[in-house]
Amino acid sequence: MGSQVYVNGKEIENPHEFHHHVAPKKQYVQVLGALLVLTVLTVAVSYADLGPLSLPVAMLVAAVKASLVCAFFMHLKDDDRFNVFVFVGTLLFVAIFFSFTLFDLGARNAVNDEQKTFEYWNDEAAAGNALKVGVDHVPEKAAALKAAHAGGHGDGHGGDHGDAKAEGHGDAKAEGHGDAKAEGHGDAKAEGHGDAPAGEHEAKAPANHEAPGGH
Amino acid sequence: MSTTSHGSGQHEEYPPYLAHHFDTMGQQAGAAKLGMWLFLATEILMFSGLFLAYFIIRYFYPDMMLSAHEFLQKEAGALNTVVLLISSYTMAMAVRAAQTSNTPSLKRNLLWTLLCAGIFMVVKYFEYSAKIEHGMLPGRFYEAHYHGYELVGLPHIFFAVYFTMTGLHGVHVLVGMGIITWIYIRASRGDFHSGNYIAVENTGLYWHLVDLIWIFLFPLLYLVR
Repeated sequence: MGSQVYVNGKEIENPHEFHHHVAPKKQYVQVLGALLVLTVLTVAVSYADLGPLSLPVAMLVAAVKASLVCAFFMHLKDDDRFNVFVFVGTLLFVAIFFSFTLFDLGARNAVNDEQKTFEYWNDEAAAGNALKVGVDHVPEKAAALKAAHAGGHGDGHGGDHGDAKAEGHGDAKAEGHGDAKAEGHGDAKAEGHGDAPAGEHEAKAPANHEAPGGH
Repeated sequence: MSTTSHGSGQHEEYPPYLAHHFDTMGQQAGAAKLGMWLFLATEILMFSGLFLAYFIIRYFYPDMMLSAHEFLQKEAGALNTVVLLISSYTMAMAVRAAQTSNTPSLKRNLLWTLLCAGIFMVVKYFEYSAKIEHGMLPGRFYEAHYHGYELVGLPHIFFAVYFTMTGLHGVHVLVGMGIITWIYIRASRGDFHSGNYIAVENTGLYWHLVDLIWIFLFPLLYLVR
């Protein structure tokens, strides 16, 4: 064994002395007390009507609590600085993740206005797409989804659905399904999936529209 | 093992719990702790995705958030917060007991921590069963309107967020209970003392992280204003 021993890049003078910092019991009790007081404060703040400030205030209190837990219970206060770096680095990346996503959300309206995306959404919604899901429609939608599934996998389930769709949408699919029915299941799947994956996608969309009518 | 080197001088003697690829206990403990912190970093990033989903949904549907959260039991959430904070304290005391070679205190504090975790899960169980009973379930499983509850907006999305976030957190609590049990068994064998307690310390770090996440979950889910 070499004479010099390094821990986290620093040379250690007495390598077999296992350094650790033991905090006094009193400190842990005080931290717990502070955490409980802050919990009461969080609940109190939620009842006091602070309007738009309530979320930032609640988050601030939570952040103070989290800092207490990190600094004292998790020993970051007296710990190797590199562990602090890992933790703070994580928070930095979380902050980037949050802020860029929220920038995007904030800019959405401007972009939608400019590109008229919103009208497009409206058309989709009017056509009974998923965007229009209300509370009352949920079970209906589940049924519709099931129906769509049954329809989408028309290979296995009777000719009516399959035919209707095949004629409606494009040649590629028509062929795929046609062969499928004529020759049987084994070949059908290989051809249908291989040739026209885009076609399959389309096949599900119209099924979605039809299904609610059927019920 | 108490006869092994602690002070200076006996450089050639290796403690039995020191892995051969480490020079010193300090180095071994430092490496283990750094590894734990890196793991905790991935945990924080995983939960941050869920928190971001929460904020996006809240940004788009503030009224729905406000009305749906009324159906969560604030008292249960507050009780669980207090229980988890106390368990964090007992866990910190367990680590301190290990640092001072106080095995009886270590075992006692681990048991207190386990008890608190158990209380947390029991409260969660009652909360979840009430939600399931009232049909307040995520996504297409939502059927509270059949039970006479009219919630505005898209409550099935709120409950999806609620169940995903608290569910993942609950899984972490269960895993933590398992690890604490394992540490308790090892403590009973006399594995831990002031020269070797990194396993206890890392368990503590994990447990405090579970607490940290709940510190944010509680005001966000239960105390919306």
